[in-house]
Amino acid sequence: MPIHEKSLIRKEDLRRQEHLVLEGVDVSGDWSTFIGARVLTDYNERLQDEIAALPGGENIHRCWQCGSCTNACTVNAINPDFNPRYWIYLIRLGMEQELLRDKEIIWQCVSCHKCTYACPRDVVPEGVMKATAQWLELKGHVPTNPSMAFDEEFSAQVFATGRIEEGRLLRRFFRRTGQPLAQPWLVAIVRGLVARLPVGLLARLGLAALVHPRTPRWGRVRRVVHDYVETQNTRRRAALGLGPASKETAP
Amino acid sequence: MSDGAILVVGGGPAGLSAAHALVATGRPVLLVDKAGRLGGAPILSGYAKLVPSGEWARDAIGGMVARVQSHPRIEVLTDTRVTGFRGTPGAFEVTLSDGRTRRAGAAILCTGFTHFDSVNKPEWGFGTYPDVVTTTQVEQMLSSGRGIHCPSDGRAPERVAILLCVGSRDRQIGREWCSKICCTVSANIAMEIREALPQCSVYIYYMDIRTFGLYEDKYYWQSQEEYRVKYIKARIAEVTSDGRRLVLKGEDTLVKRPITIPFDLVVHAIGMDPNVDNREIAATFGVALERHGYLQKAPSYAGSGMTDRAGVFVAGAATGPETIDDSIAQGQAAAIAALAGAQRTAAIA
Repeated sequence: MPIHEKSLIRKEDLRRQEHLVLEGVDVSGDWSTFIGARVLTDYNERLQDEIAALPGGENIHRCWQCGSCTNACTVNAINPDFNPRYWIYLIRLGMEQELLRDKEIIWQCVSCHKCTYACPRDVVPEGVMKATAQWLELKGHVPTNPSMAFDEEFSAQVFATGRIEEGRLLRRFFRRTGQPLAQPWLVAIVRGLVARLPVGLLARLGLAALVHPRTPRWGRVRRVVHDYVETQNTRRRAALGLGPASKETAP
Repeated sequence: MSDGAILVVGGGPAGLSAAHALVATGRPVLLVDKAGRLGGAPILSGYAKLVPSGEWARDAIGGMVARVQSHPRIEVLTDTRVTGFRGTPGAFEVTLSDGRTRRAGAAILCTGFTHFDSVNKPEWGFGTYPDVVTTTQVEQMLSSGRGIHCPSDGRAPERVAILLCVGSRDRQIGREWCSKICCTVSANIAMEIREALPQCSVYIYYMDIRTFGLYEDKYYWQSQEEYRVKYIKARIAEVTSDGRRLVLKGEDTLVKRPITIPFDLVVHAIGMDPNVDNREIAATFGVALERHGYLQKAPSYAGSGMTDRAGVFVAGAATGPETIDDSIAQGQAAAIAALAGAQRTAAIA
């Protein structure tokens, strides 16, 4: 086998035999090094449409594969496998299985937007990365990432009352992500607040934590916001061939 | 027709333009075309909407034909070839295929090109599978009003592949030139197909996209951005069939993978060959051919459209792949050069 073909061996297919002797011959080492069929046998036009239906993915069809995004990419400089140009191509061709092989690194985009400024066709690759990460979550290919859990709690509180109450937000976020509430840094902050804040303000904070006051006349705004978010989510999920959301927007 | 007439050979865009420019200065014209009607490739091959005007060929070029045919000082001879051309600038004797002779002060060769015959690339299935067609055939589907369809059974295709550089940029078949306009024409056709059949996906297989100058955004970008035409960087190796649909084989160079993709209709973006009659034309008029087989044009600095024989000029795709707009411009430029040349000769005489 020519050396360069080694790059086509997929690590996930390898079976390592530490000590394997067959009929007196030591055949230890990597097995299943066969290179599977790599032929592209069809295009799936749907995948691009799905990504384009999510916020940030709208301009993906403009890409002409110049590689300016990958060249500019902050993450690619650290991890050469992080290649926005390549993923955009896979999406445009509909190579879903190939895209899913990189599902553990696609979310690592740091949104520095260097690609956005480098792109000559205004594809907004950063937006495409965001849309792709969301697509992976909505399709259930990856678990909701912790920062999304925070965003959802945050939004849910705002939708419910028109404001946020930090203590409750943190408690719920920690519970959802399985973290203990008594984190040393948090304890230090609370102690500092209790020691320094005026009594009146502390009382108001305590009251807010108990009764969750709403922004005045929030009811009507809430309905409008809720309807909008609901419509958007339903539209996006429908574009991905998914049914209505179960919990995300429920305040 | 007086001795002062200027011979124009070929009644396509360049020849029509040259003839009109000459009579506009008061010079009589003898326009000869081997075909039975004027108009050249856009009319004879039934082109649809032209690049970049978007006007139908039958209106745009048809208008040029009507203008020339109705002019009293242009003598039009169709179904006619020039078989002899002797003499000196200002006093040439022209022998025609019907045996008659004429006199002419100068000649402008607007003899155009010949469409590449896709049979010469048998691996791409033209002539083997009825659903492999050329850009010219697609133009005819559009201009005739019949619409885009698979010739085998008349169905509307769901997926169309356009292969660029068929008969261009290919040393295997001795075509070492870029035919210049096929990329733009293909993007235009792709948009026409998407417009007519919104459910149909169109893929363009390319090595480079050469939608030069202002054609970049108007054709390449627009086809991609507004019409969702997909461009795949691959030179197709062969077109076969699974008995039901056509199958394209090649390598997708950007993902380094072989491709075996089914299609309903495959379109060859055919290039511009030198006119098949160029050897005869060169011998008759005593002008040289350049290395690809087109008529040799002298550098433009001293005058437009000159050949290596005084009093004989060239314009349009006779000298190499050319756009319709540029052929028209060259026809006018050669007309001016021919007039100046004829006058100078007359003054010397």
